[in-house]
Amino acid sequence: MVVKHFRRLKNKITSLVRRLFRKKKEIKIGLYGPVNSGKTTLANRICMDWLGEELGKATRVPHETREIQMKEKVTMKDDGKSLTFNLVDTPGIATKIDFEDFLKFGLKRKEAKERAKEATRGVIEAIKWLDKMDMVLVVVDSTKNPINQVNVTILGNLDARNIPFIIVSNKADLKTSSTSRVRSAFPGYDVIGISAKTGLMVNDLYKMILKKL
Amino acid sequence: MRIKLIPYERLKKEKPKNLIKDLKEGTIILVDAKLDPKEEADLIEETMKVVSEKFSGIELSSMDLTELKETTNFERFKNMIIERIMGKKRGLTIIGPAKIIKKIEKNPEELLLYM
Repeated sequence: MVVKHFRRLKNKITSLVRRLFRKKKEIKIGLYGPVNSGKTTLANRICMDWLGEELGKATRVPHETREIQMKEKVTMKDDGKSLTFNLVDTPGIATKIDFEDFLKFGLKRKEAKERAKEATRGVIEAIKWLDKMDMVLVVVDSTKNPINQVNVTILGNLDARNIPFIIVSNKADLKTSSTSRVRSAFPGYDVIGISAKTGLMVNDLYKMILKKL
Repeated sequence: MRIKLIPYERLKKEKPKNLIKDLKEGTIILVDAKLDPKEEADLIEETMKVVSEKFSGIELSSMDLTELKETTNFERFKNMIIERIMGKKRGLTIIGPAKIIKKIEKNPEELLLYM
């Protein structure tokens, strides 16, 4: 309980300090998470809602996003509040990449090897960009066990760097989704259940972003 | 299959590259502490640099063993002091080649390795 309150207090102070120095630079909001958690789908949802255009291609094939993609000057508004930021979609973080996994999705051997190579570079790039973020949306797949090393490493690094973040428990439209499981896995953190695909609860996510930054 | 136990102090001195060499040779590594988040990220980064057709990466689980049981605020505070003195986070880290360790599953009561 004490740890939880201390963390909240620390986050509030960090947020306040960031607000004071905001005018000096552009704000970057990053989307981080494991592979296929729906980061690009959420990035597209945010860009469609506030800019009227998509950011990137989202497919079922793992590591579709293999490079950092950014949409500049996204302006989000709600209840008299407004925030302009650059939205950064990052490649999914993984500890292993086996080119043979791509063969199951119909890719040819050469293409699969090339994709695997690009995906490894993408993971490195995503980790390097972490320090540039002013805020992060950690996108987790709510149909899967949230206690995996990738999620733990991302959250630990954000905490250690004092970067404010929201855990986005995505795919809430699916029957096997469980945001309560995500909440109990990461107590004391801000968690919201949404569906980037259908738009379920995304307005609440926007309110949370505006409140946090 | 080889399992190697490395003291955290040695891991801190050596660079992740040395670990990767062992992992590529099929060794499972156990460390007597929880890695800090930066060390975890560095290890992932170094792994990605050497992923190839033969070495697809690693399975990693670094955990604070106190996470597995209910602790009071006093116990947490006591642990924090001990960890400061020892200079390491009490816990356990398992790192294995992905070809050998298929999955590591953590739940509040146990840690399961699927090989």
